[in-house]
Amino acid sequence: MSTPGNNRRHWELWISVLPFALLLVLFLIGPMVLTPLLTFQETKLYQLRWTWSFDTWSTVLSNPTYSAVLLRTVWTALLSTIVCVVVAYPVAYALNTRLAAWSNQVQILIIFAFLTDAVLKTFGWVLFLDVHGVGNWLLQKLGFGPGATNILFTPKAAMLGIVYNLAPYPIFTIYLSLARIDPDLKHAAYDAGASKLRTFLQITLPLSLPGAIAGALLVFVLSLGTFLESKVLGGGTKPLASELIRQTFETRVNWPLGAALTFSLVLVALAALLGLVMIGSRLRIGAAGRETS
Amino acid sequence: MKNAVLEVDAVSKDYGGFRALSRVSLTIDDGEFIALVGPSGCGKTSLLKILAGFEFPTEGRVRIQDRDMAGISPAERPTRMVFQKLALFPHKTVEENIRFPLRIEGVPEDEQIRRVRTMFEMMHLKPEYRHRYPARLSGGEQQRVALARALVSYPRVLLLDEPMSALDAKLKKSLQAELKRIHREVGTTFVLVTHDLEEAMMLADRICVMVAGKIEQIGLPSEIYRTPATRFVAGFIGETNFLPVSVKAEGDGAVIAPLCGRGDPTKLAAGQIAPTIGGERADLLIRPEDVRIAAEAPTSGGWHVEGELTEKFTKGSSTQYRLRVSGLDRDFIAESTGFDTGHIEIGQKVIACFDRACFYVVEGAS
Amino acid sequence: MLRLQNRIIDWALVGGTLAFILFLYVPILTLVLFSFADSRVLTFPIEGMTLHWYAQLFQNPNFYNALKSSLILALITMILSTILGTGSALAWMRLNFPFKRALQALSFLPILFPQLLLGVMMLLWFSVLRNFIAVPMGMITLVIGHVIYATPFVLVVVSVQVHGFDAAIEDAARDAGASEWQVLTRITLPILRPAIVAGMILAFLLSWGNFYLSYSLNGSSQTLPIFIFSGIAVGSSPIYPAIATLNFLAALVLVVIAEKMRRKATRRLAGTES
Repeated sequence: MSTPGNNRRHWELWISVLPFALLLVLFLIGPMVLTPLLTFQETKLYQLRWTWSFDTWSTVLSNPTYSAVLLRTVWTALLSTIVCVVVAYPVAYALNTRLAAWSNQVQILIIFAFLTDAVLKTFGWVLFLDVHGVGNWLLQKLGFGPGATNILFTPKAAMLGIVYNLAPYPIFTIYLSLARIDPDLKHAAYDAGASKLRTFLQITLPLSLPGAIAGALLVFVLSLGTFLESKVLGGGTKPLASELIRQTFETRVNWPLGAALTFSLVLVALAALLGLVMIGSRLRIGAAGRETS
Repeated sequence: MKNAVLEVDAVSKDYGGFRALSRVSLTIDDGEFIALVGPSGCGKTSLLKILAGFEFPTEGRVRIQDRDMAGISPAERPTRMVFQKLALFPHKTVEENIRFPLRIEGVPEDEQIRRVRTMFEMMHLKPEYRHRYPARLSGGEQQRVALARALVSYPRVLLLDEPMSALDAKLKKSLQAELKRIHREVGTTFVLVTHDLEEAMMLADRICVMVAGKIEQIGLPSEIYRTPATRFVAGFIGETNFLPVSVKAEGDGAVIAPLCGRGDPTKLAAGQIAPTIGGERADLLIRPEDVRIAAEAPTSGGWHVEGELTEKFTKGSSTQYRLRVSGLDRDFIAESTGFDTGHIEIGQKVIACFDRACFYVVEGAS
Repeated sequence: MLRLQNRIIDWALVGGTLAFILFLYVPILTLVLFSFADSRVLTFPIEGMTLHWYAQLFQNPNFYNALKSSLILALITMILSTILGTGSALAWMRLNFPFKRALQALSFLPILFPQLLLGVMMLLWFSVLRNFIAVPMGMITLVIGHVIYATPFVLVVVSVQVHGFDAAIEDAARDAGASEWQVLTRITLPILRPAIVAGMILAFLLSWGNFYLSYSLNGSSQTLPIFIFSGIAVGSSPIYPAIATLNFLAALVLVVIAEKMRRKATRRLAGTES
């Protein structure tokens, strides 16, 4: 009824959309344009100087430390992504099937933990994983040898923290795509004599793939920017890119280098996001084809 | 004496490149119940929105009570609308919903209460529903609340946008009867948009059939049924038989002879011929209920077709017979009251006779 | 045999989910436990229970300042994000305008983007901007960063409700004579209220717990997560578990309210469509 484009009585909605758009242009687009530009400048005596050169990029590309850190970051992100999705899928599936009646309560529990201050939760893990912490004490009581949870201040602990902080994302995306599947599709498969496993593999899993992929990419991109876990839980011996970036800004005050490292990471993230968009549209076409055929 | 309350004068409406209405003109009398009928996309809803003031015509004028409506908002018009999905305010109780227009208008409190009570009585709404939320009412009750909200500010014209399309058949029937009664009681002009010609026939004083943005025919329900202006109008209700005939003009009428089946050439008066007919071929319109099934062909040159019975359906109050007739690409349909007596078997040859008294021809299939 | 297999799968799913929930609450419960531990070093088993650390916490001026900053920041972010997010949600649903899709994609970028990088890029931007306009790093930059981050979340929550809201309801009010202002204040906003309140709470919590953006944009002012981070980097003390416990209690109340609102919203939607 109020047809879009009928702007005569919608001018007030324009007022409502413009401020945020302006904010985004000024403080999101602006920084995103500025960052690559800064990589071609240099800092002397803690001051930025606008001299166009490729010096920073040749440093980044020639120094193996940087590429090693970047590679380690991408590798960590990939591993966390796989673990997150593997952990999240059964939970999302259970919330849609066996635990459907409790799904609301379980979701609140997840949301609550998820929204709690990440710094505090990470610190909580330190206390739990400590040699004198709760986890070790429990395991010793259960008959394991001393130091059974002795992973604190290792990359394993950092990974645990990343998975802990990011796993809720794929749970929600997978849950949503599972919930959208028409239950009659499953019933039709059972009706045709397919076993539960077969129905899952041939109907449910492929149809929930968009949610799984969206969740995976979300985890991947977000984990590129973590350093809390690697610093607090991982002990900081093998820094990730984000930590390096912070150091470059804080202790070395090298803006162009920091910007270049940031931009490299942003490129990886943008490539992943672009992949999401492309896979998403491909899957949608595939799903549409399945529906009509 | 009848007064025109609403005049639509050569109204056109374009959406981008699509012409939804094309020079539509229509006059609606005060107190009349008129139905705008047509298939989806025919422009009937666009016309209703233009009357309500939610959209404005690309060309042409709308006058309500002799006042030009150009640039007048829905609120300022003496019209109220009942929406297709009812659009009840979900966060307001039934009473608050009905009172909303009065509150906006600033009607005094005691008058508001009086009018809401009148509406409750007229709509047969139970008083205990006053403080319920719409979501807790049944579909039929929600319908009545929507009607009450539209009528409470005493509009001159009530616009109804397919308000019964979402209801099940039985509820629909009872609400149709209610709507007729309410129209009689309030005496306001009702404009009903529907795609269901049967519903329109039941309710409306006059019917306006629209196709592809144009008015195909305006007339009494009996006129629409017995003397449709075009083949489309003829075929819009139920199932209908079209029998090809030859036409030869004679005086102000014409003589027709069957091109399929048998029958003596027959003279038709001008009123039995649709205005769209040109050329020498036309289709004779035969409603299924005008057809009689017989065992033998009538003597004395009476019109009939011969065919093989392919199917029979019992509809409760009547029985439908479907015949395959050579020369017709669709089954020929006959309907007689009462149950099938079982004397005709499927596959048997039967004769279908029809009386000259109800002959009417429309243009042939293009 | 098949039946047994199905049951095993079912129980594995339920057990796995419960294990996951337990996993989520391990650090939270650990913190709550240690906040009452009567010992300066955070080791287990604990020797006794005490409320001493809570008392000490409230005597710490740095904690007070951080608490105040966080509270102001979260409140301002909540108000601005709610207004901007609700406005955008309405506009997206009801309006067509040039570059709409581009703007939508841009609006969601802050959710999909690593926050640290977002913060760093904004920091660079503000630093360069400082050559032209004086933007002191601190509350203003924090608010800008947090609003850009939290608004998309509000937008999503409100959009879901706007989506299920038949625009004809607004037309019905216009038809009944309501002005645009009356339609907005009496019909649209009241119907959307549950979603708006849920979005508000979400925005508050997102700002309250935000670390990565604040870490880049805070300048000299300390928010609570920054205070905790710099504290635990130096050495753990039982006051941090105490902060955590208080934090959980407050968040619990807000999450319960938000969930109640969300459910009320879905109930209403279900009602109108029946």
